[in-house]
Amino acid sequence: MILTILQALILPGIAFTITLGFIFEWLERKTMARMMGRVGPMVAGPAGVLQPLADFVKLLYKEEVMPSFADKTVFRYAPGLFFLAPLVSMLFVPVIGPSAVASFSLDLLLIVFILAYATFVVAVLSYASASSFTTVASGRLVLQYVSYEIPLVISIVTPALLVGSLSIQEIVQAQSSRWNLLLMPFSFAVYIVALLAELEKPPFDIPSAKTEIVAGWLTEFSGRALAFLKLSKELGLVFGASLAVALFLGGPLGPVPQSIVPVEIFYTTYFLVKLFALGLLIFVVRTALARLKIIDAAVLFWKILLPLSLAQAFFVLVVKG
Amino acid sequence: MHDTFDKTVQDRKETSAGLMQYSAENLVPFGPIHPALKEPEYFKLILEGERIVDVIPRIGYVHRGLEKAAEQRPWIQNIYMFERTCGICSFAHSTAYVQAVEGLLLYKLPERAKFIRLVVAELERIHSHLLWIGLMGHWAGFETLFMWVWKDREIVLDIVEAIAGNRIHKSLATIEGVKRDIPEPLIPGFIERLKYITTRVHYYRNVVDTESTLLIRTEGIGKISADRLEQLCAVGPLVRAAGIPRDVRRDDPYAAYNDVPMDLVTKSGVDIHTLMQQRLDEVVVSVNMIIYALEHMPPGPVKLRVPPVVPKGENASHVEAPRGELFYFVKSNGGRMPERVKVRTPTLANLPSALEMLKGHTLADVPVVLTGIDPCFGCMDRLSFLDRDSQKLWRWSGEELRQYGIHHYFPERKK
Repeated sequence: MILTILQALILPGIAFTITLGFIFEWLERKTMARMMGRVGPMVAGPAGVLQPLADFVKLLYKEEVMPSFADKTVFRYAPGLFFLAPLVSMLFVPVIGPSAVASFSLDLLLIVFILAYATFVVAVLSYASASSFTTVASGRLVLQYVSYEIPLVISIVTPALLVGSLSIQEIVQAQSSRWNLLLMPFSFAVYIVALLAELEKPPFDIPSAKTEIVAGWLTEFSGRALAFLKLSKELGLVFGASLAVALFLGGPLGPVPQSIVPVEIFYTTYFLVKLFALGLLIFVVRTALARLKIIDAAVLFWKILLPLSLAQAFFVLVVKG
Repeated sequence: MHDTFDKTVQDRKETSAGLMQYSAENLVPFGPIHPALKEPEYFKLILEGERIVDVIPRIGYVHRGLEKAAEQRPWIQNIYMFERTCGICSFAHSTAYVQAVEGLLLYKLPERAKFIRLVVAELERIHSHLLWIGLMGHWAGFETLFMWVWKDREIVLDIVEAIAGNRIHKSLATIEGVKRDIPEPLIPGFIERLKYITTRVHYYRNVVDTESTLLIRTEGIGKISADRLEQLCAVGPLVRAAGIPRDVRRDDPYAAYNDVPMDLVTKSGVDIHTLMQQRLDEVVVSVNMIIYALEHMPPGPVKLRVPPVVPKGENASHVEAPRGELFYFVKSNGGRMPERVKVRTPTLANLPSALEMLKGHTLADVPVVLTGIDPCFGCMDRLSFLDRDSQKLWRWSGEELRQYGIHHYFPERKK
């Protein structure tokens, strides 16, 4: 019992996720900067690795301004609700071994629900700010959500179809000999594209297009709320990439040699290597593309990615027999 | 000519009458403070759903009284003031003003000064066009293009700094000459760096033509026909992209444009994509012209000594600024200061076309299309008085304007 609580709080749990969130933000800024011919963060810590933390702490000190016309209750508490979503979801992903901190037979469905919940919270949040920029952002967000949700869910469910279980832990354990990626590359691709849309990264940064609607739904936030919302977005990236690692890349599984070193070290290392490789892929894609218009994004998801993910799911069903 | 003007006035009247039928909820304000506008300008967008059916501009937020200020400064000081009309095409402004004054003075401009003016003007065109390509990337959400292009633009700015001592406001043109010579030992280094820019521009041309997310945002956006552009008196890369070969450098050569071979770049049909191609191709032409001019530069002085008084008369001059034809009119009464200076910047000429290009597109296209004409709202604002209902134009003297201001802010005071 105590071990589980410690795990939930520290190692594969909250502290671990938040640290990864900061490191991912640093990695994103550094990768982008290097690709664009800039240097990126370089002052706080070695190679600027502490810069996201420094920015976070700085924002905590800032004054909070609430628009007089905003819905006060929602505006104050919804950032916390949004912050919870990736933290809770991370507990269902195996990190330090083949089993997760929390698990039950239908937890993949819970994850799908939490993804919808996070988007819903953001939509309500931006509506509660009641400024014209956030209202437009809210509309775009919902429109984008109805575009990417179905391909995303189908590509999440395809590994479950193959394994015959709706538990992330069991899907991971079923990949001990062969990664799901080899059987369903298109599901993986659709998942990554939909993840970019979920995280509002280019080319799908339509709800936060800074040249059109300032900072999108973040526009009216400041101080602590802004700090936590920005961190939540990074945590969303960590969780999205972790889920992809679990569903398609075999999670923390890999060859474990006999030695005196605890096996957890090997598992965690494998997981982190896969996670950072995936993160780098996402950052490179996001740097190399221009923003789409909302109509083009909808066309892409409905006309190309939805049939593709369905065909892949059908293929998997046929292979499974 | 007069018919066209009357027709435009008639059109405008009909539009104003037609606007009455639009209800308030169809009207979306765009500006004057908006993240997509770096300079204050106000556009009333009339929307039908997401589609723009009409645009009503309201210009004049950054009127600076430049023309009036010019009447209170000596001829030489005005060069530096007019240079500050625009932060990007500053040399085009000083050249146009200086040329207008030189027309009254009737000296013979030194040959070497002509070549230096050409070199700096073309360097400025390269830097302006590269800046614009970067901005297009920025508005289309393509930050990487923005960063890369602006990094290469630094090369041009370094060359300008080596020639003029300043990066943006060169302070190089002066009446009957230029202030500084180009040192001969630096020329091979310039040519080498300019050739590197050509390779980079070929690369960007490839990006603009093949990058699919960028193509979605630019191809077929902001279309306008060549005839319509002619009617709306558009200038610069915009008309050349429509296939109309119009360029002051070729049609009325100034500086050394007579002595340096030049290929006129034209495209067939305007949209944002061809505008990007047009400007990138113009950069290559400019690089070739600069290299030719640097290699064939005649020896001799770069400046003549002239008296501070300009003889009585009036003169107009125009140059091809990076954004299009820039027009200066100068009138002297034989004194130490001009009696009247009139400036017409290319943005003012291109704005009606931009409004036309916006029609039929969505709100998300507005930043891209507006940037398409390379607007510089800060340069273009001039003042004249017009009663829209009676179509009456009039002028006020400085004293009348002052009285109007006093009356406006303190209505209780007697006129």
